[in-house]
Order: sequence, then C-alpha cells, then structure tokens
Amino acid sequence: MKKIMALILCLCLSALPLLGLAEEEKVVNILSWEGYVDEDTLNAFTEETGIKVVWSPMESIDEMLLKISQSGGEGYDLILTSDYSLDILRQEGLIQKLDKSKFTNYGNLNPTYMSQFYDPENEYVIPYVSGCTLIVYDPEKVPFEITGYEDLWNEALQDSIGTLDLDRVIIGVTLKSMGYSMNETDPEILAQAKEKLMPLYKNIRAFGDTESYAALVSGEASVGFIYASFASLLQTDAPQFQVVYPKEGIGFGIDGFVLTAASKHVDSAHAFLDYIMNPEVAAHNAEYQGYTNVNKAAEEYLSDAYWSNPAVCIPDDVMKGSEIVQDVGEAQSIYTDIYTAFKLQ
Amino acid sequence: MKKHSFGSLAFMSLVLLVLYLPIIVVVVYSFNDNTARIPLAFTGWSTRWYDSLFEGRGGYLDALWLSVKVALWSVLISGVIGTLGAIGMTQRALDGKRRSGWFDAVMESMVTLPIMIPEIILGLAFMVIFNALGIRGNEARLVMAHVTFCVPYVFLSVKSRLVGMDQSLFDAARDLGASSARVLRDITLPLCRPAIISGSFLALAMSMDDFVISFFVYGAGEGTLPIKIYSSVKVGVSPVVNALCSLMIAAAFIFAALSRYLGAVKKARSSRNQMGLTSE
Repeated sequence: MKKIMALILCLCLSALPLLGLAEEEKVVNILSWEGYVDEDTLNAFTEETGIKVVWSPMESIDEMLLKISQSGGEGYDLILTSDYSLDILRQEGLIQKLDKSKFTNYGNLNPTYMSQFYDPENEYVIPYVSGCTLIVYDPEKVPFEITGYEDLWNEALQDSIGTLDLDRVIIGVTLKSMGYSMNETDPEILAQAKEKLMPLYKNIRAFGDTESYAALVSGEASVGFIYASFASLLQTDAPQFQVVYPKEGIGFGIDGFVLTAASKHVDSAHAFLDYIMNPEVAAHNAEYQGYTNVNKAAEEYLSDAYWSNPAVCIPDDVMKGSEIVQDVGEAQSIYTDIYTAFKLQ
Repeated sequence: MKKHSFGSLAFMSLVLLVLYLPIIVVVVYSFNDNTARIPLAFTGWSTRWYDSLFEGRGGYLDALWLSVKVALWSVLISGVIGTLGAIGMTQRALDGKRRSGWFDAVMESMVTLPIMIPEIILGLAFMVIFNALGIRGNEARLVMAHVTFCVPYVFLSVKSRLVGMDQSLFDAARDLGASSARVLRDITLPLCRPAIISGSFLALAMSMDDFVISFFVYGAGEGTLPIKIYSSVKVGVSPVVNALCSLMIAAAFIFAALSRYLGAVKKARSSRNQMGLTSE
C-alpha cells in the first residue's frame, strides 16, 4: 500500500514541471467582474500586440480578496477592483510597483483621480473608471425638491425609494446626513446612525441595482438612490428622472488595475495597461460602461451624450466635496450587524 | 382513473404556472430584440442573442463546455466511488454484526460530510491544498473538488436502495455457485441501477450548478458557466445567457421526454411478453 502511494506521489511530482512551464507566454491574466472591459477592446488589444487576454471572472470583492490573500495571487497578473480593496491588496503586499518607464500613455490620466488613499504616491494603481452614488427623482411625483440624503427620510416618500443594496453605502449616507464621515469607526456614533437608519426602511420600495432600476423605469418607485452607471442608463430609459448631487457630499469610488506580486507576465501586463490608458480606448470604455472617465486626454473623444449626462459628467466643485468608502477594518462587523438589523425589519 | 375535480385542477395549474413562469420569462426574453444594457421592455422578436451565442461572443459556449466536461468526469468518478462504497459498507454491516458498528458509523458520516460543510470552507480548503501540492491544471482541480461533493449523493442513494433489499437474493446466487464478482455484476449492480442513475443525476445537477467551490478552486481562466454568470452582476447579465439557458432547458425537456417515452415503450413490451407467457 505504502509503495503504491509512494509511486503515485512520485508520478505527481514528476509531472509538476510540465505544468509549470509557461513563462515566455504572451498572455495576460486578469481577474475582475465579467464584462467589465468590453470584449471588443480586449480583442483589439490582442490583435494589435499579439498578447492574449485571459479574463478570470469574479463575483464580489470579498471573494476576490479571500482568494488572492489565500493563494498569494498566483496565476493572475492584473486585478481590476475597487478603491478600498486596492488598499487592502497593497497593505498585504500582494501587489507590486508599476514600471512607469514602460508606459507611453501614463501622462493622460486625470490627476483628480490619482494620489488617492490607496496609492498616495501613484506607484501601484492605474485608475480605470470612476463612479458615484446619486439620488434621482421624478419631480412630477415627488411633492418637494430633493437636495440631499436627509430628504430620503421624508414621510411623503413612503414605499417609493429604489436603492442599491450595500451596507457600507447605506450606512455611509446615514452618517453623512448626520454630518459624519462615511468611514466612521466610533461605535457610539454608529449606534446613533443605526437609530437614524431604521425608520428609512418604510420608505424603501426596492433593494438591489437591477430591481431598483426596474422599479424606477416602470414608475413603481419615484426616487432612486443608485450607482451612477444606472443613473446614466436611466437618462435614456426614463428621462423624466432628475439627477441630484446630494448637498452633504457625494460618495464615489474608483476602480483601478493593479499588478500582482506573483505576476509572471509583467511585460504583457504593462502593455495592457498602456493600451487601457490610450485616449480613444479610455473614452470608449467609460462610455460603454456608463462610468466617469478618468483620462484627461480621452476627453476630446467623449461624445456629446457623455457631456450632457449629469450622472457621469460630475462638476469639479461637486467632486471636491466627495468621499470614498474605505476599509474600516474591525468596525466592518458593526456595519454588517446594523445593516442586517435594518434589512430584517 | 379517478376524474380530477375542478378545484384540484385549478390548484395544480396554479402551482405549475408559478413554478414555470420564471422559466417562461427566461425563454421569452431570450428572443427579445431590445439591445439596451438592462433590457427591461420586450421590444420585438429576434434571434440576435442566439446568433451571438453561436458566434462565441462572451465565451459562454466555452464556459458551458467546461462545465459539462467537469460534470461528466465528476459524475463518472463519483458514481464508481459512491456505488462501490455503498455496496462495501452495506456488505460490512451484514457480514460483521459481531463487530462494533462505530467504525462504520464514522465512515458513513465522513462520506456525507462534504455536503454538510459550508461550501466556502470546502472551496478555500481545496484551494490551499491544491496550491500547496502544486496541482495547477484547472480541469483536474475542478474535477477533484466536484467529485468530493458528488460522492455523497450517489452513496446515499445507492445505500438506501441496498438496505431495503432482500439479502437472500445474494445468498441464493452464492448458493448456486456464483463468485462474488458475478454476484456483483449480475445481481447487485442491476438491482442498484435506478439508484445509481438517480444519484448520478443529482450529482450532475450539483456539479453543473456549483459556484462557490469552483470559484476558489479555479485558477486563472474563463471559468465554468456558473462562475461566468454570477460574475456578471456588476455590468448586468447579458441576454446571451438567456439564450444559452433556453437551449439548456430545451435539452433537459427533450431528454426527460425521451426517457419517459423509452421507459413506456419498454414497459409495454415487457408486459406484452408476460401476457404471451401466461397465455401459452
């Protein structure tokens, strides 16, 4: 029995080098949400450079973080994910610095979306697109003017709000409406936020991105608290909705690429990032995804529809008052508890 | 046959309608002409999503092919392991009444453990082990992980069939001089066949359906169909998925209808044969 086991193990081990030899390949492995870069863009990149793109889909940031931290990111070259998770990846040493001498398009990036908390020295991250959370409402059906988060609690809005479904954002705007930061960690203040949040439930008609969107289009919901990408789609599907930049300050996020520390295709990865920063490609991606463009040089390629869309084309003074949801570490469990209590009412 | 009352018919139709409405919506929307990012309204009939599916857009066919391959391998391997395991365990229980049963009890709960452990833990554990051992082949990793949670379905199904069986059948075969291999081939396996098949189908469904374990086990690459579909939440699920699902549903219906039909034909034939025998 032992002999057989030893034999099997030997066979397995001798087969290992055969599986591992793939270093010179012209390929780049990207981990992100399915479809987050247009398939045509990926194909055009392969055609131009001969580098094959292998897109590995992920469902959520949490799963991605778990997988990458447990496996060290082996097998992946680039990860495209959101701001706070970029910070976690950097702090855990799972990503490596970029070699900017390999880029020709790096100067195209808009400084507004750089030097963020997850990469203060601009060493690790190439921003892809940016998006925020916005309030939209139908002025025909809502008897008053909505100017900020505080108005969502108005009794006139009973059972009429369609909202995104994310603990940090919902509790974040509750904190904002009370004058605090979206990234509050003080249990005392979070307890107050819970008190404030609970009665909002009776105003909510639909939870979730697509659900809320459907409710808004069908007229079931007259107010939406949704991602900018959905608000920009709404401009064509239901133009009666008006976009509000909440006066307490908008919450926004940046999704960007990082290079894993374990990457075996560093050159191909840099070539891909350079391609993404190409002005025309960047303009296409931002419009295709319905997000805010982060590439200064791409601005001349953006269509009129982009510039006239208040959901993606955010004025600079609004951006100044914005805040990004960051990792709150241990306090995350308080957020989760509050949100669970809120949803289970 | 008893005639159904109006009430029971209405009730049944209602239940069937509620059950099948989502499937009908999926199929109808696979023919939707609407090309908006989130196609809520039905704007007209079109086969454009089927066209893009077969053009290979989005790589859904590759993902389906991977899912099918992994599922078939997993079912084959877990079918053998599960069936032999169930037969062996039952045999042990019958042979060794004198022995204490704790070993068998432990073994049995070990076998069913993979379906009790939360998937995410199993998935992480597999990922860590595969990485440590340097097992890199994506398909091999998927099959190994899937076999683990497929075995219990086959095992439990075959085991419950064997327990209810008359032991004297096997004794009689041995009594008439059959070797134990012959008993297995001619008596045990044919009798277990329905259980093996039903267990395998359950396992097949579980394997095709699995997302969490597959996600963690899978290395770089496009992934199985469930991984691909779940990962579309951020940008919206493409109607191509509707087209693909409609085809899968159609295949399942055709398969079920065919097996019912063949079963009915076989039954009719055997009952005819029996009548022939009695009239002789």
